Amino acid sequence: MPVRSYRTLTAEELSIGRGAECSIHLLDPRISMHHAVIKRLDDEQLHLVAVNGELEVDGAILQNIALTHGTQVMIGPFQLRVEPAPPDVNIAVSLTLVHLLPDDFQDLKARTHEPLRGASTFKKRLALALVAFIALIFLALPLAQNLIPNLHATMAKLPLGFDRAWSPGHISNSHLHFGSQCFNCHEVLTQQVTDKACIKCHSNVAPHIPNPKLQEQVFNHNKLFMDGIRCAECHREHKSPYPLARQDNSTCVRCHGNIKAVDSHTKLTNIHDFDRDHPAFKLTFLTGDKEKKIERISQTDKARLVEKSGIKFPHSQHFGKVQGPNGIWDVREMTCTNCHQQEGKEMRFKPVSYNRDCMTCHANQLTMGPPEALITVPHGSEQNVMNALKVQAPKQLAHYSESLKTDGCAYCHEINDFKAKTKTEVKIDSKVKTNSDDGLPWHVAPLNINQDWFSKAHFNHASHQTQKCQSCHAVEESDSSADVAMPDRQSCLRCHSGNSPKPKRIASSCMSCHDFHDSHVMHESLPVPK
Amino acid sequence: MQRGNIFDYKNYRYFKLAIIVIAIAVTAYMLFEPAVGYYGGSWLGYGLGTVSAALVFWMTWYGVRKRRYRSSGSTQGWLSAHIYLGTALTVTATLHSGFHFGINVHSLTYALLIIVVISGFFGNYAYMIYPRLMTENMGEDSLDGLLLRIAETDKLARQIALVMPDDINFTVDRACRETYIGTGLLEQLRGYQPDCPTAVAVEKLTILGNHLTGEQRKLYRELYSIMVRRQSLVKRARQDLMYRARLGFWLYFHTPFAVALLAAMVVHIIAVFLYW
Repeated sequence: MPVRSYRTLTAEELSIGRGAECSIHLLDPRISMHHAVIKRLDDEQLHLVAVNGELEVDGAILQNIALTHGTQVMIGPFQLRVEPAPPDVNIAVSLTLVHLLPDDFQDLKARTHEPLRGASTFKKRLALALVAFIALIFLALPLAQNLIPNLHATMAKLPLGFDRAWSPGHISNSHLHFGSQCFNCHEVLTQQVTDKACIKCHSNVAPHIPNPKLQEQVFNHNKLFMDGIRCAECHREHKSPYPLARQDNSTCVRCHGNIKAVDSHTKLTNIHDFDRDHPAFKLTFLTGDKEKKIERISQTDKARLVEKSGIKFPHSQHFGKVQGPNGIWDVREMTCTNCHQQEGKEMRFKPVSYNRDCMTCHANQLTMGPPEALITVPHGSEQNVMNALKVQAPKQLAHYSESLKTDGCAYCHEINDFKAKTKTEVKIDSKVKTNSDDGLPWHVAPLNINQDWFSKAHFNHASHQTQKCQSCHAVEESDSSADVAMPDRQSCLRCHSGNSPKPKRIASSCMSCHDFHDSHVMHESLPVPK
Repeated sequence: MQRGNIFDYKNYRYFKLAIIVIAIAVTAYMLFEPAVGYYGGSWLGYGLGTVSAALVFWMTWYGVRKRRYRSSGSTQGWLSAHIYLGTALTVTATLHSGFHFGINVHSLTYALLIIVVISGFFGNYAYMIYPRLMTENMGEDSLDGLLLRIAETDKLARQIALVMPDDINFTVDRACRETYIGTGLLEQLRGYQPDCPTAVAVEKLTILGNHLTGEQRKLYRELYSIMVRRQSLVKRARQDLMYRARLGFWLYFHTPFAVALLAAMVVHIIAVFLYW
């Protein structure tokens, strides 16, 4: 039941507020101590004037409100309304508490929120949104691209396909420019990449075994690639930065592990592992002046390991402390690199040159005659030497020629003496030409200095530069240039193991030393691929 | 006798199992390196991937299982296994990836797994820390009990403030009417309301009380102590909400992302075998 009380007040001003001294005492915390006052202003009308509180009329905060019949003003939670006044009073107002103070506990409870309100709904929605996103972007769109031909055709024109999201690893640089469209290689869903996809670009690749006889013998036909093995089995994409071509032994051992099954006439032995069953190395010897005239001799056949280079060079006299050209006091320290100068990033070696490597010490071998009339002949062809002698000492030509044959040139070179041998014998000896036509009495034997002992393998000196040369090439005791100082398999096994690393030994696969059947070399007998 | 908890359940049974799984996975990873480097498609990768997928399915089954009235085995044992094998799963999945990451569904699956596992770790941390802090904070009180006591202080404070000057009255009134306890998620997690009217009132009262008369001063001191008490009660209520919010907040990530992980993993497996 609302409480009603009626009061008649007589005063010049009627103060309204929470203070006990106010004419209209409103005990509510939302009312100021001296909230407002009703008084007559200069216009002779009664006004409600704000003192320390706020007055609100229709939502507007006002300072001064003229009180006329029907005026309604909110004073805090109270509504003041000007009522019809009886004839003997100036103004009649009613005050009604329209906004009751809420219950403190319920009010506070309403302002206290449950922890993580709506968490369950949020989690469900988030889960659904994530699943929908994944299903759309990573499954539906890539599948649609593969299954709807029109979409497939449209996507083919764009730089990226939807199915790019399925790519399992980095694509190699060489395939990157088209690799963003998976269907360029993966032509049919659920099928492995076929050779057809590779041949689209690589149609003119040479057979992987360049020798067509071997190709035919091994694979029993002349197909471009190896039948029965997909390109992708050896060329593994999505594995960058690993090389596209596999470097492990499994592909090699597939044939070489049981080589007789592939070629019953082969002389090769079965190989599974460098450490376990790799045969002794074969060295390549030049047998003529052309590089193709070679013979490969196993290092186990020591009797035949003789180099016929045509030069006389004892390594033992060119290593360590040696006497220089200026007498016994001219002692020089010589190392391998004085003559063997490296070349290229793989540290191959330049061919030894007389001018660069020999002349410093051996120039006097080409100087003859008494000190007052020294004759110097050039290093080079015999014809030039004879011409120089004819010009400088025509009368002593025969004498100096004999001197060069027995000492000067012969100091370093093998000599073919035409006077001492018949023409036929010289032919056999020199194996190249008789030289009888030029009329010279003797010739320096042709040089067959080997540059590539391991022609079926590759070797990178730069990778071994932390080692001493002598640890692989035992030349310190070599007195003859016929000696071959190439390391054998046991030397390599000191630091290298087979497929798996061993204690203090590096794992070495077939591809560490060999190329795949010289796959990048076009065999000269092959027809040019169309 | 103190009962074991989820971590030392049955003498660390699942901890030991997780260690064995991790040891086998790491040993296999170190011993068998595929020729083209580690990747998910090698036989080792498929092995680790199968183990990881099985673990993911089993982990998510825990979520189903704990919601069932009828279940097998003790909940404590399941949770212990969930935690330890979940940690082992991180190792097997990482080794399965071979540390190859990119912008694709496979790495997305891995990223979702990491989010789920990290949020799970935070859940572990929360359940280790916050229940104790909640007990310390609330003692034998409940949140409703605290709110009742705050409401009582409001009534007392308002009564006294009625006879105080307007600035004090309105400061107190505002503190009573505008103090919220844990309105937004961020405030619940932080455990305080920026510019809390109660804290502001306590601060202001120290200044406003300087000009009071003798009689008012006595009431003012009472009012001040009531407001300080109110502030303390409000703080405790907020902290209670904060601990409860933090106890549950990690599930905002753990559950939805676990569901997303399942979806991504299924797509990952489909994608691998579609582009064979």
